[in-house]
Amino acid sequence: MSDQLYIRNFSIIAHVDHGKTTLSDRLLEVTRTISEREQREQLLDSLDLEREKGITIKLKPVRMEYRAADGQVYQLNLIDTPGHVDFSYEVNRSLAACEGALLVVDASQGIEAQTLANTYLALENDLVIIPVVNKIDLPGAHPEEVAQEIESVIGIPAEEAILASAKEGIGITEILKAIVRRIPPPRGQRQQPARALIFDSHYDPYKGVIAYVRVVDGVFRVRDRVHFMGTGAQAETLEIGIFRPAMTPLNELVAGEVGYIATGLKSVADCQVGDTITLADAPAAEPLPGYRPAKPMVFAGLYPIDSNAYPELREALERLKLNDAALSFQPESSAALGFGFRCGFLGLLHMEIVRERLEREYKLDLLITAPSVEYQVLLSDGEIITVANPSEMPDRSRIEAIEEPVVEISVITPVRYIGTIMELVTTRRGTFISMDYLDPTRVLLKYRMPLAEIVIDFYDQLKSRTQGYASLDYHLAGYQEADLVKLDILVNGQPVDALSLIVHRDFAYQRGRDLVERLRQLIPRQMFEVPIQAAIGSKIIARETIRALRKDVLAKCYGGDVTRKRKLLEKQKEGKKRMKMVGSVEIPQEAFMAILSLHESGYERER
Amino acid sequence: MRHLYIHIPFCHRRCSYCDFNTYANMEHRIEAYVDALCHELAMLRDHLPPLPVSPEAAALRPTIFFGGGTPSMLSAAQIERILQAADTIIPLNTAEISLEANPGTVLGRDYLRDVRSLGVNRLSMGVQSLHDPTLRMLGRIHTAAEARASFEDARTVGFDSINLDFIFGLPGQDLAQWRATLNEIIAWDVDHIALYSLILEENTPLYAQVTAGRLRVPDDDLTGAMYELAIEMLAKAGYRHYEISNWVRPVGTDRPDAPPALACQHNLAYWLNSDYLAAGAGAHGHVFPQRYANLRSIDSYIAAVQAGRRPIAETIQLTTDDLAAETMFMGLRLDIGVGFAHFAARVGRSLCEMYGSTLDQLSAQGLIECDEQRVRLTSRGRMLGNQVFAHFV
Repeated sequence: MSDQLYIRNFSIIAHVDHGKTTLSDRLLEVTRTISEREQREQLLDSLDLEREKGITIKLKPVRMEYRAADGQVYQLNLIDTPGHVDFSYEVNRSLAACEGALLVVDASQGIEAQTLANTYLALENDLVIIPVVNKIDLPGAHPEEVAQEIESVIGIPAEEAILASAKEGIGITEILKAIVRRIPPPRGQRQQPARALIFDSHYDPYKGVIAYVRVVDGVFRVRDRVHFMGTGAQAETLEIGIFRPAMTPLNELVAGEVGYIATGLKSVADCQVGDTITLADAPAAEPLPGYRPAKPMVFAGLYPIDSNAYPELREALERLKLNDAALSFQPESSAALGFGFRCGFLGLLHMEIVRERLEREYKLDLLITAPSVEYQVLLSDGEIITVANPSEMPDRSRIEAIEEPVVEISVITPVRYIGTIMELVTTRRGTFISMDYLDPTRVLLKYRMPLAEIVIDFYDQLKSRTQGYASLDYHLAGYQEADLVKLDILVNGQPVDALSLIVHRDFAYQRGRDLVERLRQLIPRQMFEVPIQAAIGSKIIARETIRALRKDVLAKCYGGDVTRKRKLLEKQKEGKKRMKMVGSVEIPQEAFMAILSLHESGYERER
Repeated sequence: MRHLYIHIPFCHRRCSYCDFNTYANMEHRIEAYVDALCHELAMLRDHLPPLPVSPEAAALRPTIFFGGGTPSMLSAAQIERILQAADTIIPLNTAEISLEANPGTVLGRDYLRDVRSLGVNRLSMGVQSLHDPTLRMLGRIHTAAEARASFEDARTVGFDSINLDFIFGLPGQDLAQWRATLNEIIAWDVDHIALYSLILEENTPLYAQVTAGRLRVPDDDLTGAMYELAIEMLAKAGYRHYEISNWVRPVGTDRPDAPPALACQHNLAYWLNSDYLAAGAGAHGHVFPQRYANLRSIDSYIAAVQAGRRPIAETIQLTTDDLAAETMFMGLRLDIGVGFAHFAARVGRSLCEMYGSTLDQLSAQGLIECDEQRVRLTSRGRMLGNQVFAHFV
């Protein structure tokens, strides 16, 4: 039972590497929620992938207790926001569960595009922003300028910024004080029908889906019948509790508090982020605003290397889906690859995470096709169809028009890279919207660009061409018509449907040439000559030839070598197993993603 | 018949491509090492493998092979002591006794004559190249002329079974230079020739130089062409290409479905996947169902033997499937291929039963050919041996 006056709900907005994890660790230590770093493992989300990729996609929420100078104990709830553009909807909902946010900016780097985008989201959600200039202890730090930048970009006076070093423990108390003083308490109605906002969830095999919630109005108790206003699902609250940071059961959660509700539901699809939970017997009249079902933006075919593993792949996807409402999949078949699934993802990182989890946790050898977006195709007979798999694009004679999704991108960059970025964006069919100076050295660039151009290694290109200085954010901005054609790839004279892609007509020849050249590098030499061709319709626009393997034999093999040579041969055989037989040609997994690695070969020429 | 490999891990200096177990500047340990070898050989008497049941393997002579390293760094007296210690394992009077020799270890006719009189009846010399700048680049301690002189000396003192090793695919080598080398080898009228495509082994100076871009090695296509040129020229000169990297001068009694008489009997034991004993630091032995490897370092090898222990560092347990795989990929290296009877006798199972569908598939690809007796690589299969071998592991 908590008086809302003494609750503060906040999140941390920070760019990757700007110190979010370290700062949250410090807050937990100072409030004695955990001692030292003993429970660090528990704090971090358990996905190994996140740690390996050096990014924390999301921390678990946590409740801290802080005794302020006035002697009053405050309940501080920290709700994390995922640090990647793929998850911007989740960010939005996490922010909606808070009244304030710490904006953490690296004192030597300044504000980045993703951070800025999330800060705007926070302002839209009426959050109070507390700027924290972190890493002031580092040699390259220029905290005053960064504080000034925050003032000029977001409008928060520079003197309100707290100078800190989470690593050295500098400024932590000031941050806690500011949270209590500047962030308003929740203003929910305890007497109103109960409403809670779901900002995250996970699937537990014993308790079903655990919804992470911010209670806005009313009270939730154990054994309540609850109703999910968006999905329509019903459940009983098996357990209710808070994160300290371990899940700690309580009897009730009241307006203003953050915690969890174990629902017993079998799939997170019934318990989607952004949905409102209310009581089935005394339902609220209106859901909380802002709910929309998770919508995949990027699509790719997932196929087992060993076609016999199809049922295992289906089962693995079904189990992942329990925990990932944004993942969608439906069966598809490919002449080249056999049976598989067309999967929808929020973005490329999401796709990569799903793929790696399938391979690691379910031990599946997978082949993933190049990512595509979802096209709206107007047929000559007036019908409109959606096409998420390039090989399913109807014959041109039947098409009246094709529309593709477009996004608005924001890039923040030092001014010296403006030219480079303009050039990159132009080759990706981007159109200029605006350019604003954040300070004399950095600009915010905005463009309109087809989403399809972003999913194909745009981010990597942006990073490499700006030595990592530019940062990117984007959001969907509708559909627009474009002159698109289907580019087919023929291997050994046979079209390989899984290699088809949709490209703009103006870039088709260049893409075709680059792609066959890249495939020539990626597909190992076979025992016979293999031509690789790119075609639009029946017209061949590019060709390369993989010469036949001429010699492949162990130079010598005597008594001392046998075991080692056997191992070498076993490795060679394993390598073959990881390739897909398409006709009589063995094609490695990377080849199906060739379009994503054109630049690695240096063959992506300037256009 | 039984077979014994003896490793001599000493060299005057390491060659730049070599990753064998061998050490330079350890000459002061040779005498103690020979003592240890004799000790180990005495221990091996209690661990003799059974005699082979495969008729092909049973037809081999008993063998002793001094490999290295540089076995010709041993004095004649040291070789004699080792042979005496080996006598109870391998009958010296009927054995093929091979010695690897470096043409640069100033062999001299006296040394060669002494060694020959001890019963060493086969000499294998690492010539590697006939191009002096290349020999220097490889870190060899001899010139082409010295190699030639050593070879002639060996002939003079009565060695009638001599192998010469050469490497192709060397940095800077082109087809014309390789053709000149082959012409000269043929002109020397050698009995036995081994030609190896250069393997860049990690942790060798040559590997480092190539990966750093300081040296360029011919690509697979060029080394393929070199190999094909050797096959063609040596066939024309009358040599039989009896194993992927070995050629021999045939004699009148040779039959196409049996190994040639002048083939290296010891190496044939490997290719027929027979059992063999091994002695010395880092030596590998095979007594099914085990392969074992001795301690690699000279000092720890000597210490173990002095303490009365067998100096084994690692033992690998083999399954019947491993035995079958090894019998196939070793045996297919021979021009006679793998006999069905040989496989059945060695492995205890039928080749067709174990690999029937694989044989069909490889035949259809033109990589192997089968008759009632044997399965062998086609000439195409010989170029792409690994593609075939990988099917059996």
